Amino acid sequence: MVCKQCQELISEYIDGGLELGEQSNVERHLAGCEPCRAVRDDLLQIVHFSQQLPVQSPSRALWPRISADVTELQPSLWTRTLRSLAGFQALKFNFSVPQLIAGAAALAIIISTGVIISRRDNGPAQLAGVSAVTPSDVTPLSQADLQQLEKQINQLSAAVEQRKEAWDPELRTAFERNLLYIDQSLVECRHQLKDNPADNVSQELMLNAYREKVRLLEGFEKF
Amino acid sequence: MAIITTTLTMPVTGERIHHASDLELARAAAAGDSAAFEKLYEQHHRRVYSLCLRMLGNGTHAEDLTQEVFLQVYKKIGSFRGDSAFTTWLHRLTVNQVLMHFRRRGVKLEHTSEEGDFTNVVDTPLQSTRRISMVDRLALEKAISQLPPGYRTVFVLHDVEGYEHEEISSVLDVSIGTSKSQLHKARMRLRELLTKK
Repeated sequence: MVCKQCQELISEYIDGGLELGEQSNVERHLAGCEPCRAVRDDLLQIVHFSQQLPVQSPSRALWPRISADVTELQPSLWTRTLRSLAGFQALKFNFSVPQLIAGAAALAIIISTGVIISRRDNGPAQLAGVSAVTPSDVTPLSQADLQQLEKQINQLSAAVEQRKEAWDPELRTAFERNLLYIDQSLVECRHQLKDNPADNVSQELMLNAYREKVRLLEGFEKF
Repeated sequence: MAIITTTLTMPVTGERIHHASDLELARAAAAGDSAAFEKLYEQHHRRVYSLCLRMLGNGTHAEDLTQEVFLQVYKKIGSFRGDSAFTTWLHRLTVNQVLMHFRRRGVKLEHTSEEGDFTNVVDTPLQSTRRISMVDRLALEKAISQLPPGYRTVFVLHDVEGYEHEEISSVLDVSIGTSKSQLHKARMRLRELLTKK
């Protein structure tokens, strides 16, 4: 074995990757070749110290940058609700995602209906005690609001339509079921408002249904 | 109909966050717990940054890439199921990000040109008698950063991070022989750089 051959094998030799015959040849050459022994010893040092390199720290400004980016990526309230519901799995309830989603939507509808009934039966004063309704929720619905929401919904619907192809059938069913709940709610509101355009309660319910539809579409746009 | 069977995700807050495992933190972060995500960052950002730094050889780029890695972690944390250690998952994600970074910039990891040639000690008897007296950390870090990207990647994965050639072959989509050859050339180039200092 000449030096060139020895040095071509020296990395594998120090890693213990040579077959026995090759290993013996390299060892015989090393025993009588000082330059090749020097190469071996240097590579051993490099390998040894490389394994002990300490971890390095980035600047402190890095976390605020990441945090800001993450904040922008924060999921919508709807998605978080879905994630939280998914987290319930460990309780070993045998619910599928669609069932959970449907449950959440049904709950939302029930709460809305409860608010409406409460309001119709007891008047506006009773609303103060209903935590589900915030001051912004009781803003009367203007034509501009409607147009803005419908525009937003159209854009989101187009985006969701493009993603639906790739969805799991269960996810698609869950989405369509929820969309149906909300659309039914909207249809009922429209009927109410057709009969009585000044009905503030139906306007509020309609506004909430629109907002719920936006949240639903925003949530599913990310799947 | 698929039935979900995973564990309960609770917010990891207060004193509990200090004792939470990576898996607990990951599950909490996946459920939107930002404190858990920050804790994961605190615990692992140095390792991610160090890997990026050594593979890229540039501190600014390494920070940018570390940022990208943690954004990917944030987006993908829900897919971490705990089948492997979180550190393994994160490490693989980091390596993938570095490789994507190289691809985006058109960096070729496989070298077949004269870039791969190193000075053979037989041809330079004077150098053969010069030895690395002692490898100091800073000199070694600097020499690693001066390696061509292909050599640096294989060297960092094998000698610094402890990957086997089979893993490198799989990650980089090169043959095991190429991985071994790149590693050998990287070590010889490092030797040259360190004896020149």
